[in-house]
Amino acid sequence: MRPTACGEPASKGAREDCGGAHPHFLLDVLRTQDMSDFSEELTRPESEDDQEEASTVSGTRVYFPWLQKHLDTVATGGKKKKDFAQTTGACLSFIREALLKHQWQQAAEYMHSYLQILEDFDSNQRQTAPEIIWKLGSEILFYHPKSSVETFNTFADQMKNIGVLNYLKISLQHALYLIHCGKLEEASRNLSQAETWRYGEKSSSQEMLINLAQAYKGLLEYFSWSKKKMELSKLDKDDYAYSTEARNIFSHSWKTSVNFSALIKTPGVWDPFVKSYVEMLEFYGDRDGARKVLTSYAYDEKFPSNPNAHIYLYNFLKREKAPRAKLLSVLKILYQIVPSHKLMLEFHMLLRKSEKEEHHKLGLEVLFGLLDFAGCTKNITAWKYLASYLRQILMENRVAWVQEEWKSRRNWWPAFHFSYFWAKSDWKEDKDLAYEKALVAGMLLGKGYRYFRYILKQDHHDLRKKIKQMKKSVKKYSIVKPAV
Amino acid sequence: MECCFRVPLWHEGLSHLQVILPGTPPRMDFPSSLRPSLFLTGPLGVSDVPDLSFMCSWRDALTLPESPPQDCKNTAPHLAEALLWEPAMPGPLPLLPPCPDPWDPGVTAQDLLFRGGFRYRRQPQVVLDVTEQLSRFLWNHGDIAFGPLGKMMLENFKLEGGRNRSKKMTVVSAKRLLQDLGGHQPWGCPWAHLSHRLRRFAIVGGPVLGKSVSSLLGRLLHEELATRWEQLLLDEAFTGGTLAWLPGRTPQVGQLVYPAGGALDRLRFQEVSLTSGSDPQVLGDPGCIQLQGPVRQVVTNTVQGETLLAVRSDYHCAVWKVRRQRRPAPLQVLRVAKGATGISLSPHLPGELAICSRSGAVCLWTPQDGLQQVYKDPETLVFRDPSPWRWADFTAHPRVLTVGDRTGVKMVDTQGPPGCGLLLFRAGAEASCQKGERVLLTQYPGQCSPESLPPTLHLICTQFSLYLVDERLPLVPMLKWNHDLPSPALLARLLPPAGPGCPQPLFLGGLGGQVQLLHITGKEASAPRLAGPPQSLPSLTDCLSAFPLLEPKSHQQLQERLEAPTIGLACASPPSASTPTAWLFQLSAAGDIFYQHLALQAATSFHRDCGPPGDPRPDSPAPRATAPPMDQRPPPSWSPQVTAWCSRWLEALLQVPPASPVWTAPTFSHRRLLGRLEPQPVEGKVPQALRAAMARGRILQQRDLGLLPRAEPPPAPEPGPQDELSERLEAAWEGQGATWWKRQQGKASEPGKQTKRPKRRTPLSSTFSSLTSCLDLSDTSSPPHSSELRPQPPVTPHSQESAQQLWAQGDHSERWQTLGDYMAELPLTKGTPPLGHVPTPPSQASSVQATPSRLPTPGSQPHRKRPRMGF
Repeated sequence: MRPTACGEPASKGAREDCGGAHPHFLLDVLRTQDMSDFSEELTRPESEDDQEEASTVSGTRVYFPWLQKHLDTVATGGKKKKDFAQTTGACLSFIREALLKHQWQQAAEYMHSYLQILEDFDSNQRQTAPEIIWKLGSEILFYHPKSSVETFNTFADQMKNIGVLNYLKISLQHALYLIHCGKLEEASRNLSQAETWRYGEKSSSQEMLINLAQAYKGLLEYFSWSKKKMELSKLDKDDYAYSTEARNIFSHSWKTSVNFSALIKTPGVWDPFVKSYVEMLEFYGDRDGARKVLTSYAYDEKFPSNPNAHIYLYNFLKREKAPRAKLLSVLKILYQIVPSHKLMLEFHMLLRKSEKEEHHKLGLEVLFGLLDFAGCTKNITAWKYLASYLRQILMENRVAWVQEEWKSRRNWWPAFHFSYFWAKSDWKEDKDLAYEKALVAGMLLGKGYRYFRYILKQDHHDLRKKIKQMKKSVKKYSIVKPAV
Repeated sequence: MECCFRVPLWHEGLSHLQVILPGTPPRMDFPSSLRPSLFLTGPLGVSDVPDLSFMCSWRDALTLPESPPQDCKNTAPHLAEALLWEPAMPGPLPLLPPCPDPWDPGVTAQDLLFRGGFRYRRQPQVVLDVTEQLSRFLWNHGDIAFGPLGKMMLENFKLEGGRNRSKKMTVVSAKRLLQDLGGHQPWGCPWAHLSHRLRRFAIVGGPVLGKSVSSLLGRLLHEELATRWEQLLLDEAFTGGTLAWLPGRTPQVGQLVYPAGGALDRLRFQEVSLTSGSDPQVLGDPGCIQLQGPVRQVVTNTVQGETLLAVRSDYHCAVWKVRRQRRPAPLQVLRVAKGATGISLSPHLPGELAICSRSGAVCLWTPQDGLQQVYKDPETLVFRDPSPWRWADFTAHPRVLTVGDRTGVKMVDTQGPPGCGLLLFRAGAEASCQKGERVLLTQYPGQCSPESLPPTLHLICTQFSLYLVDERLPLVPMLKWNHDLPSPALLARLLPPAGPGCPQPLFLGGLGGQVQLLHITGKEASAPRLAGPPQSLPSLTDCLSAFPLLEPKSHQQLQERLEAPTIGLACASPPSASTPTAWLFQLSAAGDIFYQHLALQAATSFHRDCGPPGDPRPDSPAPRATAPPMDQRPPPSWSPQVTAWCSRWLEALLQVPPASPVWTAPTFSHRRLLGRLEPQPVEGKVPQALRAAMARGRILQQRDLGLLPRAEPPPAPEPGPQDELSERLEAAWEGQGATWWKRQQGKASEPGKQTKRPKRRTPLSSTFSSLTSCLDLSDTSSPPHSSELRPQPPVTPHSQESAQQLWAQGDHSERWQTLGDYMAELPLTKGTPPLGHVPTPPSQASSVQATPSRLPTPGSQPHRKRPRMGF
């Protein structure tokens, strides 16, 4: 998220709840004061408590998986579990335990016994059982040292037909497994089967899964397409084989687009699908189609704010050589979502090149915003950009811009970036970084600041000239005016 | 109003401090392609959506090839390797001698819940047993219950009759009676004096007394019981954990910081040296700081070479600066009037903390500048939930905090306008949460090392699952793992990767002592995922077998001690030359610290090839390590030193006096008598002692009189309910053990006792029982199991076969059978001897063929309606 860099600290009322040093808690403390206010605590309305109690005791809202364990210690009535339910329940917990201990063989043995739950008289149990069996069984087979793809296939094929509602889910996962094992053709066959499968009325969840199956199929087609494309690029254009190959490729495209288009309209994260779909569309020159797909993926409000959607759109526009204004508008939104993204440096350079003054101002904001993040503190490029840009801005006599950015950072940047500790360690690790940071520190905090002074004091023959220059520019351009 | 007093920040030469420097800048790249996932909005547990988390743990191991695979035939699938941190011992071991304070498990469900109830409910219902508790209270603490009432009546009613009215025998002075209510204890004490008048008064005044007392008291008691029950279900006080590891001078030495004492009010600093290959060495005596409240959370962090330690108690928070070789310097103490629920230390700026209180306020706290309220909302974030629990932690941006409650987690800018923020996690359809799911813990792991996960990840635990959420893509979890812990997951610790390219171990601990270990990897620009199947580590009760055999009472004491909730988790992984190792420390609520030593085993990457198993492929990479899979490895066993240490520990534990009972013998009406006993100028020892005892409201006992000549023995209390154990021991002592046993058996075979047996046996359960006898037979001939601790499989192929006979009709059963056969076809159950020397389990298919047992079907009921499978 992007922090808003404005507003005064909302310290009002902070003491109401957490206030006052307490004398008795810590015996070692030498000086203590107790200024706490008990009155609020005492005058708390009672009705609040009653409400709270009533809703929690009923216990219907929060679900505790361990509640049953407590109830089992007390005979609280209710139907007694049947022996069958008890043994299968125990067996299930043994399977889980064995899986967590990586005892695959033992887990498989227990699973062998657990299968009889499919015969349970309790219809509720019988319905959830196939799901559990698939989940645990596939896990055992995935990790078991003696299992093979064939074993897995047989298991999956049988599980698909037990409990009709799981057909699609299992098919999908089976296909994923096959893709993972490199059996793309088999996976594709599986997905085609799933795609045409229908049961009863088409529910929304079914449709969703069918869309997903289609999209994965599309992805597989994309794989074979891009393989062919690669082969084609090796062929000579005048070759006879070229035209047939090209025709082959062409036939792929419309099929695949059908596969993807249904899914990527549903809200979700569909990075691999969108990426490959756009690549294919671009290859066939359907730029408008590709742009439409990317735009809706990035800007549809129903979708999560996925940074990749904006990155894909930006990269596409860059390939398309779109005007700078368009690129900037995409990056501006990315900046709102992820101000720490590495593309922000590119954004900064674009803003600098722009003619608009507000863009120049934003360029400074972007750099400050990027360096706010803990993961970017050692990004030397960002520091380099900031140092040079600060110098340029101060040269242009726009101190107000810098002041504005600095206002919200004044109380924590010195400790976060320019502490004595960092001066020492930065100099030890990366002298260039230390140099850039010192320049920024000098401009923002004045030449008397310890980070700047520490770097200045260091005598290094390679950097001597540079440091001299730094001293000069800090003297000239600094937002701190030491008693002129 | 000045709310904080200031302590000057401690300045110290930096040269003394350990300097932790990240080598290369951490990667902030966003994963270039995220795993496909559906994004739904809506409440929890929406049923008509395909739950993609239905997919299993291995789904995480699956990766979509980024670029199309070049050659499908030759691509060796990159499957998850069997990452395994193997414990060196079968269970955790105590690190220090037992805490000298007794441990009492406190109230259990049995004390709180109504026994009995509605027979025919499908689900048993939770009913708090207020009635019984109330009657017990009135019984045991009648003085407290009725005393004030008598006092009040005395004050507010004129009870004396007319002066000149002659008192007849039929008039009773109510004054006395009302005075006596305060000491009224008719049944609780065998020596209690019960006057006929009092008795009559009780009968006459019963309805009035009972009604007013029960209506007043009942509500309060119900409230108390409700909170106790809530606490029993989820004790949120210890969220985050009270055990911390402070790295020391060398990587091998560090300090454990934890609360000690029965009241958990002494903060201890124990230096420990960790060397791989041997047990941890405890160095010197622990440093100790006495506090005036129980410690609920301990956090430490080292930022820019400065180590801080923060402690949360129920109504206080305190922060210290840790100095080498010296006592930690206290910086500031904070009182939180409404109760603090969480504290965290900033990983970015030294001396910055975030605290939150039950009122819904979150404050940024720096000892220099005091408090700054960042957020306040008594309501929960996503939907209404009554819990006042709040949590706050830091994010990758030093000025942005996360604020969490049971329903979600929000990111709040401390510099922005109050009240706004962005939801990071929502208990809802976005993360495909289940019905009744709530956030139990949120944690910002920060940045452990440059090779670790990106610093934008947040860890969120619920009763069911663990989520990893990236703050750059809110609401959509990057990783979800269904942990299924049988107790609230309130503890999580992330270790830095064991080596370059290795996944990061994440320890997830439940309050009940269960610990799961997850391997999380998120190398470079890929989304974080599980690098292998998660594993469970031994829990505290697993070390029971290291202790010598005990008589039942001591055994129970030990077991209760080991079953105490785990309230702290800490881990350390000192760099070692050979295999990476990790140490796990657990603190129990009884005040004991246990440790486990884990070593990383990279087992042979299994089923790499898609071809027939066992076919060695020339191009397959050589297995990394020679460790066989877990199945075929001999389980670790206790070393003699360990058992010796455990028996010493046990000896010390048995010295610990048992917990004093919460309820002591009731006092009896003595005030009146005390007044009458005018102090005599010359008084013997006995009256003096009697007076002293009465003043204290206690019974005069032999020992109070000192070494007086033994007179009449005081009347012994009625023997309580028969204690079978002591009876048996008594009999055994007198050599009458056998007769006692016979007598006992005779009792047991009385007809009244037989009702417990199940009335009807299903054919299935009979197959189970017949099966167990078979098992016993086969067991006697086979060598003893090396893994006796392992639970026996509930069913073996014997039952399989007989069960199949039972259901061998109909297409449905056929399907079931084929599935069963297919499972039997698995190489593992074929009877091929497994690698290694572990004896084959008794459930071998071969034994089935050798003894084709045709079990009769007892009770041969008419065939029931066949279950339908939804076709």
